[in-house]
Amino acid sequence: MTDVLDGPTDAGELVIPSVDVAPEDGAVGWRHRHLLDVDDLSIDDIDLVMRTADAMREVLARPIAKVPALRGRNVTILFYEASTRTRVSFEVAAKNLSADVVNVAAGTSSVSKGESLVDTVRTLEALGAQMLVMRHSVSGAPYLAAEVFNGSVLNGGDGWHAHPTQALLDLYTMRSRLGSLAGRKVVILGDVLHSRVARSNIWTLTAAGADLWLCGPSTLLRGFEAWARHGVAGSRRFHVTSSVDEALRDADVVMALRIQRERMASGLLPSLREYAARYGLTSARLATAKPEALVMHPGPMNEGVEIAADVAAGAQSVITDQVTNGVAIRMALLYLLAGAAR
Amino acid sequence: MTDLDLSRVWLVDPAQGREGPGELVVVDGILETVTWLEGAEADGIDPTGVVVAPGFVDLHAHLREPGNEDAETVASGLAAAAHGGFTTVCAMPNTTPTLDEPGVLAAVRGAASVSGSPVELLAYGAVTVRRAGETLAALGELADAGVVGFSDDGAPVRSAAILRNALAYAGAADLPIVDHPEDATQTEGAEANDGFIATILGLRGWPIAAEETAVARDLAILAEVARDVPGARLHLTHVSTAGSLELVRRAKAAGLPVTCDVTPHHIALTDEWIAGARRFAWEAGADADPWRDEAIVAAPYATSLRVNPPLRTPADALACLAALADGTADAIATDHAPHTEVDKTVEFGTAANGIPGIETALGLVLLAVDAGRLTLPRAIEMLTTGPAAVIGRQRGLVEGAPADLVVFDRSDGWMVTADALLSKGKHSPLLGMELPGRVLLTLAGGRVAHEAPALVAV
Repeated sequence: MTDVLDGPTDAGELVIPSVDVAPEDGAVGWRHRHLLDVDDLSIDDIDLVMRTADAMREVLARPIAKVPALRGRNVTILFYEASTRTRVSFEVAAKNLSADVVNVAAGTSSVSKGESLVDTVRTLEALGAQMLVMRHSVSGAPYLAAEVFNGSVLNGGDGWHAHPTQALLDLYTMRSRLGSLAGRKVVILGDVLHSRVARSNIWTLTAAGADLWLCGPSTLLRGFEAWARHGVAGSRRFHVTSSVDEALRDADVVMALRIQRERMASGLLPSLREYAARYGLTSARLATAKPEALVMHPGPMNEGVEIAADVAAGAQSVITDQVTNGVAIRMALLYLLAGAAR
Repeated sequence: MTDLDLSRVWLVDPAQGREGPGELVVVDGILETVTWLEGAEADGIDPTGVVVAPGFVDLHAHLREPGNEDAETVASGLAAAAHGGFTTVCAMPNTTPTLDEPGVLAAVRGAASVSGSPVELLAYGAVTVRRAGETLAALGELADAGVVGFSDDGAPVRSAAILRNALAYAGAADLPIVDHPEDATQTEGAEANDGFIATILGLRGWPIAAEETAVARDLAILAEVARDVPGARLHLTHVSTAGSLELVRRAKAAGLPVTCDVTPHHIALTDEWIAGARRFAWEAGADADPWRDEAIVAAPYATSLRVNPPLRTPADALACLAALADGTADAIATDHAPHTEVDKTVEFGTAANGIPGIETALGLVLLAVDAGRLTLPRAIEMLTTGPAAVIGRQRGLVEGAPADLVVFDRSDGWMVTADALLSKGKHSPLLGMELPGRVLLTLAGGRVAHEAPALVAV
C-alpha cells in the first residue's frame, strides 16, 4: 500500500454494487472473508468500501431505508465491552439490510460464568450465526474467533489494537467534506496509547496520503515514536508530538480522543483538570487550525475534558455525520463480507 | 544392557575441546572406546551427517509435577527431554506445592524413579517459601537433600534484601541462586516486547529496562556478597536483551561469580512472529519490519508465542547468539514450559506464558549453526559442558564411564507435529515446521532413553 489514495473519483470504471440485490449476485471484487484489521486492506479495498458506502447513503436517504440484501442471514453481535454507539450502529446497519439480528451482551450470557471465547463462538454458530460482529477488551481476540468460526467475523473493536469500521467511517467522513486527503493535515489528539481508533486511523489515513499528526501527553504516546521511526509498512510517515500548538497549527482535521479516568490511577496523568487545561480542544485552540477545520470525535465524549462543549456542538463539528456515516460504512462492510463469504 | 557400535561418525567432545571423525563402542552400557580417526580413515566423514555428542544438560525446565499433571508429568517431561537429546534436566520448583522443602523433592524423585526413564532428574529448591518472596525457604535442608541451586523462577526474587541473604546463605553451601531477572513494577499486564510491533498490535509493552534494571540490581548485590562469601554465585536465566548481556559481560570482566543462559527461542524467534512473520532472527535482520517486508504469513496473536521474557527484537536475538559465541553466555537452557490446551486456547492477553522447547532446542540451535551464527562445537558446548559447569558437574565422552550421549543426524530433518512431540505441551510455535538434526539415539547413564523409530528398523 504505497500509493496515495485519492478522494472520490468518477465511479465510471468501477462497478458500484447494486445494493438492492443479494451480494452474491453482483461480483464486486471484495476478497476478504473477515474484517479483523485495516492493515491488510489495499487501496482498492478501501476505495470499494467507500463507494459501497455511497450506495448505502443513498439507501439511507430513501423514505424506507431498507433493502433485502441480507434477508435470511443471521448477524450475531457479541460485545464483551460496554458500548452503545457502535453496537446500535451495527444493529441498525444489519436491520437496514434485512438481516436477522441476534444481540449477545457478554455480561448477561454464560460468558460471565467463565465460558471461553472459543466455546461461546462455537455455541453462537450452532445457534445459527453466519456473521459475527464482536467487540472484546483483549487485543487480537477476533483472530481467535475467526480461527473457529465458519462465517465472517467483523471486528467491532479489540483492546487497544483495531477498530476498522471506525477508521473507515472517519475516512469516509473526511473525504465527504474535503475530497482528497492528500497532503491534508489531520491531528489525532489525546489518549493515543490506549486507542484502537488511533491505531486503525494510522493505517487508513497514511494510505490516503494525509499529513498525520498524533498529539497528547508523552505518557499517552508511548510506543508511537518507535512506530513513526519505522513508518507504516516501511514508507508511509506520520508525526508524533506532545506540543498541542505544533500539532494544531493550520490543521485541516482535529480528532479528539476520549480520556478515561483510570489513566490517573495508573500514573499516566496528574489529573483530568491538568489534561483539560493542556490538551483539551477548546475554541481558542481550534482557532489556530484552519478556519474550516473539521472537528471529530469517535465518542463517547467527556465534554469539558478532551473537548469543550461549544466545540463539540459548533459549526465545524462533524461528529453527528460520523454517526450517520457509521451506519452506511457498516452496511457496506456487512454487504461486502456477505458476498465474499459465499 | 546396551551395546552400540558406531563407526564413521562425527564426534564432538567439548570436554576435550575436540571434534572430528571417529568411532565409538558401548558395551553393556559402558562407553568402552572412543577412537578419533585420522588420515585416510577419516575420508568422507564430515560434520553434516551423523554427529555424536555428550548428552545435553538443561538448566531450566518446568515438569509441572506435582500439581499440574495435565500440563506435564515428570515421566512425559523426561521422555520429551530424551527426544531432544537431553540426559540431565534441572526442574524448576514452581510446582504445587512449591518445592520449598525436602518432602516435595522426594516426591519428584519418586516420580522420576517410577517413570523408569534413565534421564537424570535434578531439581532446584525455591528461594522463598511458596515463592512468595518474603521468607527464605529451607535452603540448608534442601541443599542437604541434593538440590543443585535455588530459584523462584516464574517470578524474580522480588525483594533485594532477600536476594542478598539468599546469595550469602546458598553461597555457603556452594550453590547458585538462579534468578529470573524482571522488575515486576515495569511489567504489570505486559504482553509483548515494548517496541513498534507491540504498538501496532495494541499489546501492552514489556520493556527491556524491566529486565536490565533487574540484572543490574542482582549484579550490584552479588558484587557485595561475593566479597564476603567466596561461594556466592548468581546464575541469570533466560537473559533476553542485548543490554542485559552487556551488563553480564562487564560483570564477568570484573571477576564477579556470575553465569547466565539464553533460550533457543530467544536466539531464533523474535517479536515479529506475534504479528504473523515466521522468519528467524538472522533472516529478519536488525531493521526488520514484517509489514514493509511483506513477511506476514500466519495469523497474528498466536498464543504459542506468549512467553516470559517476551520474544525480543532481531537485534536482541543476534546479541544472544553473539553472547554464546564470545562466552558471555554459559549455556543454552530451554525454559521448557508446557501448558494445557485450555490455558493456551484463549485470547493472547489471557494466555499462559511459556513455550515447550526441550524437544525443539537442538533443531533451533542447528539452524543457527547452519546460518553461520554459531560453530557446531560451540553450540554443543553450550548444551553440555557449559550448563554442567553452572551446577558443578562435568560432561564428556569418557571411556570407562556409563554411556551418556546423543546421536543425531544433521542430514535428516523432522517435522514438528503434536504427535511427534512427547511432551504433553503441544503448543510449540514451530508446529508444522521442519527442523534439522533428528535425534537417532539418546543414551543416559548407559541406558537407552530415546531411540528414533527408524533406527530400530536398521
